Amino acid sequence: FRFKDSLARDLRRADLVISHAGAGSCLETLEEGKPLIVVINEKLMGNHQLELAKQLHRDGHVLCCNCSTLVETLQSMDLSTLKPFPPGQPEKFALFLDKVVGFQ
Amino acid sequence: TGGHTTEILRLLSCLSESYSPRHYILADSDEMSEAKIRSFEQKRAETFSNSQFTLDRIPRSREVRQSWSSSVVTTLYSMLYSLPLTYKLKPDLILCNGPGTCVPVCISALLLGLLGIKRAIIVYVESICRVETLSLSGKILYYFSDYFIVQWPGLKEKYPKSVYLGRIV
Repeated sequence: FRFKDSLARDLRRADLVISHAGAGSCLETLEEGKPLIVVINEKLMGNHQLELAKQLHRDGHVLCCNCSTLVETLQSMDLSTLKPFPPGQPEKFALFLDKVVGFQ
Repeated sequence: TGGHTTEILRLLSCLSESYSPRHYILADSDEMSEAKIRSFEQKRAETFSNSQFTLDRIPRSREVRQSWSSSVVTTLYSMLYSLPLTYKLKPDLILCNGPGTCVPVCISALLLGLLGIKRAIIVYVESICRVETLSLSGKILYYFSDYFIVQWPGLKEKYPKSVYLGRIV
């Protein structure tokens, strides 16, 4: 499973995803609507990567744990508490940019 | 690079064809972004006839976690490429979202503006990954961009001159 071009197919078939806190992994998973448990590696603390994982957790979109608490989390988790992750809205950016540049 | 490219293509996804031609500038070490960009532009060409784009590369201005002082040197080196390229392209609008590559390009555009050669509007969109702190590119371009967009309200509080539109990628 070393390096695949795209995990999209595997992602779509999954019922649950357990991932590191990388932004790409988190966002791709949430956008597919899959439940996600983010495993935080304490040795990487201070890495800005954690900012997104923490916010997603605060907003109720993901479960968080660390390596030592993963098993416990899997045993006691309630995935129904996870809130769906709404897609971003690039159309808002387009509207903003049109105004800035003067296209109406 | 990688995530930045995915984000910027999403930002472009809803733009009208008035934003044409599009000139992409990549770091020379970036392998995956070119494929993503070509795929995006190919799809776009299916909808909009006369869709135009170009692709150029400049030396990567900074490696992840490279020291500040050596980054200044490598950025200046990248500018040897970004300055003539920006002069040639004379963009009306520069859209960037945080990879080190955008710093030499934006500095080049600012210089061209100061010299009265071409004034570009610089729009910077900080990555969605940045919830509490800005990237190094963001910290620099917060002062030099015309519009600085953040995607989380906490950053809007810390950086009052920024624009908050919610999540846009």
